[in-house]
Amino acid sequence: MLRLININRRLGDFVLSDINLEVSDGQYYVLLGRSGSGKTQLLELIAGLEHPDTGKIFLDDIEITRQRIQDRKVGIVFQDFAVFPHMTVFGNIAYPLRARKEDKKSIADKVEKAATAMNIRHILERSTEKLSGGELQRVALARTLITSPRLLLLDEPLSSLDTSLKDDLKRLLRNLNKEGQTIIHVTHDYGDAISLAKRVGVIHNGKIIQEGSVNEVFNNPSNRFVARYAGIRNFFKVDISREDGLFVGVTEHKVIFKLNGVTPARNNLLLIKSDSIIISNEMPADIELNAFKGKVTEITPSEFGMEVIIDAGDLFYTNILTSEMGKLRLIEGKEVWVSFPSKAIVVINGN
Amino acid sequence: MILSSLVLLFIIAPLAGMFINTGATQFLETVKDKEVHQSVWLTLWVSFTATFIFSVGAIPFAWLLARKKFPAKNFVQGIIDLPIVLPHTAAGIALLGFISRDGFLGKLASFAGFDLVNHPSGIALAMAFVSLPFLINAARDGFAAVPERLEKAALNLGAGYTKVFFTISLPLAWRSITTGFVMMFARGMSEFGAVVIIAYHPMIAPVLIYERFSSYGLNYARPASVFFILVALLFLIALRLLSFKRKVKYINNDAETY
Repeated sequence: MLRLININRRLGDFVLSDINLEVSDGQYYVLLGRSGSGKTQLLELIAGLEHPDTGKIFLDDIEITRQRIQDRKVGIVFQDFAVFPHMTVFGNIAYPLRARKEDKKSIADKVEKAATAMNIRHILERSTEKLSGGELQRVALARTLITSPRLLLLDEPLSSLDTSLKDDLKRLLRNLNKEGQTIIHVTHDYGDAISLAKRVGVIHNGKIIQEGSVNEVFNNPSNRFVARYAGIRNFFKVDISREDGLFVGVTEHKVIFKLNGVTPARNNLLLIKSDSIIISNEMPADIELNAFKGKVTEITPSEFGMEVIIDAGDLFYTNILTSEMGKLRLIEGKEVWVSFPSKAIVVINGN
Repeated sequence: MILSSLVLLFIIAPLAGMFINTGATQFLETVKDKEVHQSVWLTLWVSFTATFIFSVGAIPFAWLLARKKFPAKNFVQGIIDLPIVLPHTAAGIALLGFISRDGFLGKLASFAGFDLVNHPSGIALAMAFVSLPFLINAARDGFAAVPERLEKAALNLGAGYTKVFFTISLPLAWRSITTGFVMMFARGMSEFGAVVIIAYHPMIAPVLIYERFSSYGLNYARPASVFFILVALLFLIALRLLSFKRKVKYINNDAETY
């Protein structure tokens, strides 16, 4: 278990302040924050690349605040991968084993195994010069995992990958975590957080401003900053079943979503981007749409116009342009319809 | 454009003139002259040895300068550059006090049973004294250009500091280090002022050229100069080629990763 107690660190104008954090064994902890929020700095403190001004860090009840980087057993994969440019892929992955002076045979076996697991066995003899971002990342990941770190730190691992590679890597990370690897993953993307995290911490201006399970954090954002992650509020945990050959998802408040053209698994989380939700005064004619009758419970100004919250059993959060507001004549307490096409629903594998 | 050509001409013309004014027979005689080729050989190997031996200390020192913050770092940097701005004869005088039999290093050498003055080891010290900044500065720039993140990644993978230095920092800064090595070697080889004060004999090539000039005149100094320049050029080109091969490789790497 990793524990950070009252960590403070000043770097120029930027301050990490009063960071308290506990990450239990086998946890998948996602630290969510914008660039400049201090999330990378926090990772570097945990890895020992930097030291806190005050505060303590414990790993398995042993204090490691001042321990040397190379003795910590905390593996970090950098955002830019930091793959050694003058070595082959094999040389990179074998590096930690060579540093430990393992014998050649055992190094070759372990590298082979790690490369197979990461699906990069075919590029082992290549130089790292012409590898793609995805390949470089796998090299960096294999190189770190081969040290069997107590804790795996990932700095924005998904940010430089295209969509299909992202899904591959997410699957890989999920499996790693399932096998017991404790992971702290830093990202600015709430989608990554929802799809991977068991626990989420939101970091803003050097402070952790909210922490909890994915549901706790995204359904009850503690402040507007957490809430402002676009779309995160339309977030529903559903049971999937089949009705008349059609997949539907049912929330605990019995709101039923039609899921055309999606192939869901069990225990899903549904996500609806707030800008694909339409509000109307009449019931929409198109029966293909998901449409629910509800009551306007709150109207607040937002950066795009107005944020309107509608209670239709579950709460729906929408952004309405100021020009639309006049046409719809929305007021709090008014009955309206919310609707959105099935394809606006993003199905996420819940943990 | 015209000004640039003039400047270039200013460098080329005297050298070209010297080559043209050296007759083939004269030149061949000089090449056969044992005294000449001995002095050229001495110059080359003493400068090379000096560069090589001092690089053992200078390269890690350059790494410290590139990576670590310490008090009075600018002052230390100033001291390193000092030999470049000193008049070389003055540097020679200063060094002579240090290595003559009354000096600290001189006493040490006497214990070991030899005299640094008028000895190749003294020449090597004189060459190193004036040329060391070139190696240190080039190596320092090379280390500074290695992304610190790579060193930290290596530490994170469990390698110790020495291991990281030899497997990451040194190979990645190698291009600048070889450039610095070549520059120090070249600068040491061409040194006259400091060396002539430490050791008139055994004669290194620049001293020999001066001696020929002052005793016999321009016509006798010229062929020796031409020969020395040719040999030195040959060496420099060879070393440059060696480092250039690596250069191409690392440029690609840098572009790819950073």
